Amino acid sequence: MALRKRNNDQIPEISREICLRMLTDLERAKRPVLHATKCSLDNAIYNPKIGFFTPGDKKVATELNVSSVKKMSRAIFLLEILLRNIDSGAVNTKRELYYISKGEIKGNPRLKPLDFADQPESDDIIDFICEMLEVYREDFNCYANDRGGQTYSQQLIVTETLTDGETATIDLSKLGTSPFQPKNRPQNFTLKMSERIDFGLIVESEGTANTLVANGFTKRNKSILIGSQGVPSNAVRAWVKTIQDQLKIPLYFFGDLDAYTLQNIFRTLKAGSAASLIRNQDYSAPDVRFLGVLPDDIKKYDLFDYPVREQDAQEGRALKKADDALKNDPFFQDKKNKGLAEILRWLLKNKRRCEQQSYFSVAPKDPTMPEKIIVEKIKRGDFV
Amino acid sequence: MAPAGNAKTSDKSQEKTQPKSSKSISSSSTAEYFSKNLQQVGFSSQTKAVLTTLKEAVDNSLDACEEHGILPEIKVVIERVGVGSIKNSERIRVVVEDNGPGIDGEDLPKVFGEYLASSKFGRGRCTRGQQGIGISAATTWAQLTSASGAKVISKTKGQRKAVSAVIEVDIKNNKGILKNRETIEWDRPNGTRVEFVFDGRVQVNGEAGLLNYLLGTALVNPHVTFQYQLPDQELQTVERVSDAVPQIPEATEPHPHTMKLGEFIAHSHLFGRVKTDVWLKRGFSRLGDAAMDALPKGLLNQNVDSLSNADFEKLFSSIQSVELKAPSTSSVLSIGEDALSKSIQRLGKIDFFSVVTRKPTICDFKPVQIEVAIARLEARLSENDAPVQVLRFANRVPLQFDKSACAIVHAITSVNWRSYGLGQPKESLPQGPYIMAVSVVSPFIKFKNASKETIDASDELVEEIRRALMQAGQKLSRHIKAEEKAEDLEEKKRYIEQFGPILVEGLVRITGAKPEIKKRAEEGLMKILGRDTSHAEKELNAATARLEEQLEKERE
Repeated sequence: MALRKRNNDQIPEISREICLRMLTDLERAKRPVLHATKCSLDNAIYNPKIGFFTPGDKKVATELNVSSVKKMSRAIFLLEILLRNIDSGAVNTKRELYYISKGEIKGNPRLKPLDFADQPESDDIIDFICEMLEVYREDFNCYANDRGGQTYSQQLIVTETLTDGETATIDLSKLGTSPFQPKNRPQNFTLKMSERIDFGLIVESEGTANTLVANGFTKRNKSILIGSQGVPSNAVRAWVKTIQDQLKIPLYFFGDLDAYTLQNIFRTLKAGSAASLIRNQDYSAPDVRFLGVLPDDIKKYDLFDYPVREQDAQEGRALKKADDALKNDPFFQDKKNKGLAEILRWLLKNKRRCEQQSYFSVAPKDPTMPEKIIVEKIKRGDFV
Repeated sequence: MAPAGNAKTSDKSQEKTQPKSSKSISSSSTAEYFSKNLQQVGFSSQTKAVLTTLKEAVDNSLDACEEHGILPEIKVVIERVGVGSIKNSERIRVVVEDNGPGIDGEDLPKVFGEYLASSKFGRGRCTRGQQGIGISAATTWAQLTSASGAKVISKTKGQRKAVSAVIEVDIKNNKGILKNRETIEWDRPNGTRVEFVFDGRVQVNGEAGLLNYLLGTALVNPHVTFQYQLPDQELQTVERVSDAVPQIPEATEPHPHTMKLGEFIAHSHLFGRVKTDVWLKRGFSRLGDAAMDALPKGLLNQNVDSLSNADFEKLFSSIQSVELKAPSTSSVLSIGEDALSKSIQRLGKIDFFSVVTRKPTICDFKPVQIEVAIARLEARLSENDAPVQVLRFANRVPLQFDKSACAIVHAITSVNWRSYGLGQPKESLPQGPYIMAVSVVSPFIKFKNASKETIDASDELVEEIRRALMQAGQKLSRHIKAEEKAEDLEEKKRYIEQFGPILVEGLVRITGAKPEIKKRAEEGLMKILGRDTSHAEKELNAATARLEEQLEKERE
């Protein structure tokens, strides 16, 4: 697919064009059809040179008929609210948009049939609009809760352009023990290094990220340390992508050795996901490397590992998904990611897992041992 | 109430065939056994005691009326009359009165106070009562819990006055005792009224409730008029919807392949001194000349009472290896689709229903006939997520306990009801405001226990019930599909009215289009959606036509 070229300014115009086309069709008693990008693995293309999932040509067509008239009416109703937000600069979460729509309907009884029974109903319509226009919801000023991404560094300076055009500069070395919390508006950040930064480290567990910092990691290493808090939110994804593009420093991910981490956390961070095909371009950091825990680390550092509980719903599902991924996922099938596919195969064969915190078992009396292992691995090039 | 069958005759035949000493042993132990094991015959809890007493009395009334060609009119009164002697029990009075043939005074102790006195077991007829245990057990329960027997008033046709008496069970000797006998005026031409006072607890509603029993009995007996008064409720009347007294087909002789060796030998004792070939030809069905030719000649010419057990065994094995025709199905009794259709409408206000009467067939080498009635009740339309109400019948007697192991429930859950438009969780009963009534009629129903609450789920029987259910499901689905299509059309029309203008107005606001464009777009939209509606109309017409065709067939 062609990479996304649209920007915010174009959205009102594209929206009007779609609506005008619908009106013209209706005037001719011809059924209008709305096309939305199909966001699923069978429409995901992985080109190793690009490094993230891009959408293929498959579209989901919604033709106007008695069954779809409700969905289309709701889409046009919400589109109008979203366009108003772009116009006024107002910002909302999906939950707030759900209530805004309820308020609109309350004020106009004729709109009652459009009413949403719960938030997932309005969320689906917002997603449909975005897939139809091939834009992010952030383009409509609709932001998610900025979960995760707490960032520490002694060298990083962030300049944020605010919605009113003002700028704010944040020197992370001046924040003391408080982390910097990024927002999922990557285009608003300009990054600068007060001195050379050697690497960035994204840690799966927020707790472990905090521990590493508290024990002096960022004092001893010229680095950026980020807690991803599990599956990276849009904010974390966009933030890592921004660091990658603007600072061009090596980036490493440190997380558990298990199928869930590899597929749901690391792959999303590196190449995006099939569900977010449209946004992967600005929300993936293909240069991030998997530092560990690697299967070899278990033997090398005599780490504690344990068998996967297949009866556990999440772990069982992740293993099954790993098997599917090796067969169907273009990311793991590509030879560029052969090392990662090998780890999945190891997990499937051995059915064992090892948590990142097991590094703390190597020298229990030395709180800096995990840091030593991480740094040693980076120096040795012991990552995938 | 009356003895269904001639109690006197059966008693005499028993006397003839049993030596005196063995008879006294077996009689006394029979009553004693049942008095100590009343839980085996339906008295395992206080609520079941009330239901079983009612059930036994009503079964006897219905059987007696049918035997004598009388259209039954049965009145039931159940009331609480005080506190029971058992902990947490109530003193209950159950009165059942019928317009049956009545019972002679001297027969009353046998009917109400003697176990097995009027047994019809093994006669191969589709009567409700079989063993002659039930009503004597009810008398025993009343005697044990309230020290009072069965209070009976009975009058046969032609008697000027009725007999009134109290019957008790002589538990040691399995004899009925007649007490307080007197003749009284009774303004009925004939009939029986029996009253039991005993300890129990009344459960009116629910699957095991009295109401379920009464309505279920009404359903499978279209010819009965019921009057019933339950505690704290008004007297209710369910009028008969059929004037035809069911003709209970005559019993057929047993089929030798349905017997065990012991039964085979015992059967020979009923014939005294006759040649073996005469016994086999008279005493069994389906043993024709061709089959007889294949049996050991030497044994056939001997007198049957001279055969040794080894001879019987040889003869029995030979018969088992001969290929015989399946038993006749002429001994089963059906309610019929027409009567069932009328009867089901007595259960409440009904939206629609479907009934199926299968042809009699052979399952597990026994004649059997299955009938199914499914109805949607208006009063329960909101109960879409609740399991359907299942009414099970064996020889027209409602079964109300141990549902899960029953062949009927096995068959219902094995059908994919979703394809007929009903909701159904996996391997469960379907859901919705429906009553599903399944009647199994056979002279040889195999129950799982002595209290006859669960029909044994053999593969053949389950399959036969399943087929009946699927036929009924297909008929039902026509109603449901027609209804769905009508709802679909209704919804489409509503959608057009509701969303059409909103959609166009939204588009016009976003584009800033002129009013004439808006007008043309609205007209175009109506045309498009109108096409969808006309398609839905066609589908509705087709579904309605299919339903009409089915209803027409049913009327024919």
